Amino acid sequence: MKRLGTWMALSALALGCGDSSSSSQRAELAFAAMVGAEPFVCGQEYSDLGADGASLVLSDFRFYVQDIELKNDAGEWVPLKLDENEFQNGDVALLDFENKCGDLGTEEMNERVVGTVPAGQYDGLRFKMGVPFERNHANHSTEPSPLNLTQMFWNWQGGYKFLRIDSGQFSTNDWRMHLGSTGCEGDAQAGGVTSCANPNRVEVEWDTFDADTDTVVADYAALVDGANLGDDQAADVGCMAKPTDTDCGPLFQNLGLPFGDQPGGTQSFFSAE
Amino acid sequence: MKPVFHILILLPLLLGAGCGDSEAASASRAWVWDLPETVPPPRVPEDNPMSEAKVELGRFLFYDTKLSGNQTQSCGSCHQQAVAFTDRLAQAEGSTGEEHPRSSMSVANAGYAASLTWANPAVVRLEDQALVPMFGTDPVELGLEGMEDELLRRLRDDERYPEMFAEAFPKALDPISLDSITKAIAAFQRALLSFDSRYDRWNEGDETALTASEQRGMALFFGGSTAAGATDALECFHCHGGFLLSQSVDHDGNEFNQQTFFNNGLYNLDEDGSYPEGNEGLFDITNDPADKGKFKPPSLRNIAVTAPYMHDGSIATLEEVVEHYARGGRLLESGDGKENPNKSSFIKGFFINEQEKADLIAFLHALTDNKLLTDPAFSDPFAE
Ligand code: HEC
Ligand code: HEC
Repeated sequence: MKRLGTWMALSALALGCGDSSSSSQRAELAFAAMVGAEPFVCGQEYSDLGADGASLVLSDFRFYVQDIELKNDAGEWVPLKLDENEFQNGDVALLDFENKCGDLGTEEMNERVVGTVPAGQYDGLRFKMGVPFERNHANHSTEPSPLNLTQMFWNWQGGYKFLRIDSGQFSTNDWRMHLGSTGCEGDAQAGGVTSCANPNRVEVEWDTFDADTDTVVADYAALVDGANLGDDQAADVGCMAKPTDTDCGPLFQNLGLPFGDQPGGTQSFFSAE
Repeated sequence: MKPVFHILILLPLLLGAGCGDSEAASASRAWVWDLPETVPPPRVPEDNPMSEAKVELGRFLFYDTKLSGNQTQSCGSCHQQAVAFTDRLAQAEGSTGEEHPRSSMSVANAGYAASLTWANPAVVRLEDQALVPMFGTDPVELGLEGMEDELLRRLRDDERYPEMFAEAFPKALDPISLDSITKAIAAFQRALLSFDSRYDRWNEGDETALTASEQRGMALFFGGSTAAGATDALECFHCHGGFLLSQSVDHDGNEFNQQTFFNNGLYNLDEDGSYPEGNEGLFDITNDPADKGKFKPPSLRNIAVTAPYMHDGSIATLEEVVEHYARGGRLLESGDGKENPNKSSFIKGFFINEQEKADLIAFLHALTDNKLLTDPAFSDPFAE
């Protein structure tokens, strides 16, 4: 894989134009979707998943990230200022590994996040999988890309799906994972959602991460580790992140999120490789 | 009969000088609410002022099958005018045949809901609610998920819509958008008012509007004593009171969050008071066992034409509804709803004789607004 990594954006200085914020540098983060040892390929069947060794044809793999920060050599976390493009807007980026192999999705894919940071040395990374509260509960119908994809809407919960991994073609034996904020409340005076009991934003932090050589890997096999995929328990197909959906327990654990009485911990869905 | 008051809203005032879009200013005429003086106007979001052009566009969209993926269904398929915008089914059926766990609700007066749908405190704007049937997959209703571009193309290619959208959204550069679709449908639903029943005429001072039996039923409903000598035995109005006949109400100028959810004792599957899985009301949102079986008390306006009843359509007639409340909960083989630990203390059960039962049901029938059921302003434009 050809990688650009970070480099100094000295062009502004060279041209002598007044970007007074001294120098900044480009930064690019590479993401990859895996299923155990194999790369995720839309429409491919994967076996030996979960506690019961299930086989699934995976047809969707998308997630939003927010609050991306790099750690500089003084040990300070510095926000990555995202470029604006069809996969990035404001503080939100969509990583999209499906290519519409199934009956849903979009052909375009996105495996990287690009932006700028002040010039310097960086050796750590942190981010959240999610959409910031204000935008998660804003009017979805007026949001620009990538927050205008109706397949990532989750309006019955008043927000977006932060993570969407589906199997199959929407038949009854699918197993789907949709994660977003739950337990939300709103009021008509405020005109929308005012708070959510379970924000469900997944926090990832690595003290050492070299953007030039490392990739952020999201692993479906790690996500469903310990889950019984062959035995769908609650009324929903798979885990729809409802606090009542008992299928979600192991997945939330692997995401480091609290679920019912089960406390949160450290996530194992993402790794730096 | 007293005259119906026309409450004139001056939209520029409502918007505040110079803020936001000034669609309203350019609309030919200010919107007029046709409401009795007993009823306040609904809350109108600042970013979606009412106009006749918008409401008319919303009516077309509400009834247009272009709004479903396979072009077989519209909002109007599940919300049919003849039955006060419900569908006669116990549980709704989506465009791909998927069964909804819940029963379609009347959308008449939906502009007054403190929270929308049977039990969801997060959904408070009609504009947002419309996205659920359009794009939701759990269950599939209109089945438009991922088809937003196709939907816009269908509407742009239509001979009628480009002009209608331009008229309804005169300031928009690109008037046919997801935002304008949901805004127009929401405006249509805010205009879908139903306050012209015989009960309303009685409230406006027409003493001939209700029969003696209906008046007796009304007294029982609103806390009167039964023949058995109990005062406020029925307790109906505690949950189904106010101008909407639901305590879960919002309106223009209301300062408080009046969302409420109650368990009225339909099920009791275990010691937690569980309801059938996946359809446990507020609990499905909060996961608090004390919320099992809690649902919004729906408005009882037009209730005589919206059978079957309750969130899952599990009660067929008003007669059975009254028996359910008289018993103080429903007895099923799976458990006795009367003993549900989350049941509201207002559902105590009461003794009601046959005459009183008939009176109460007669009153519920007097809540039907016949004009709503046939008003051409709300009818299906494609059926003409
Ligand atoms: C497949 C049938 C179906 C279709 C199509 C449908 N609805 Fe509904 N509607 C329902 C059901 C079922 C409920 C109750 C949902 C719940 O509680 O989860 C409902 C509830 C509502 C409510 C809440 C009413 C209240 O008082 O809280 C509104 C408003 C509404 N629908 C509007 C619409 C609009 C607008 C459309 C079209 C964009 C639409 N519906 C399409 C079945 C349908
Ligand atoms: C504690 C609050 C409460 C009281 C008191 C109460 N109700 Fe209800 N009512 C509800 C709730 C909540 C629902 C919806 C329950 C569900 O679907 O699970 C409901 C549903 C109904 C329905 C069905 C509505 C529909 O659209 O399907 C009718 C009819 C009704 N009630 C009539 C009455 C009458 C008549 C009384 C007095 C005898 C009464 N209610 C007393 C809370 C209450």
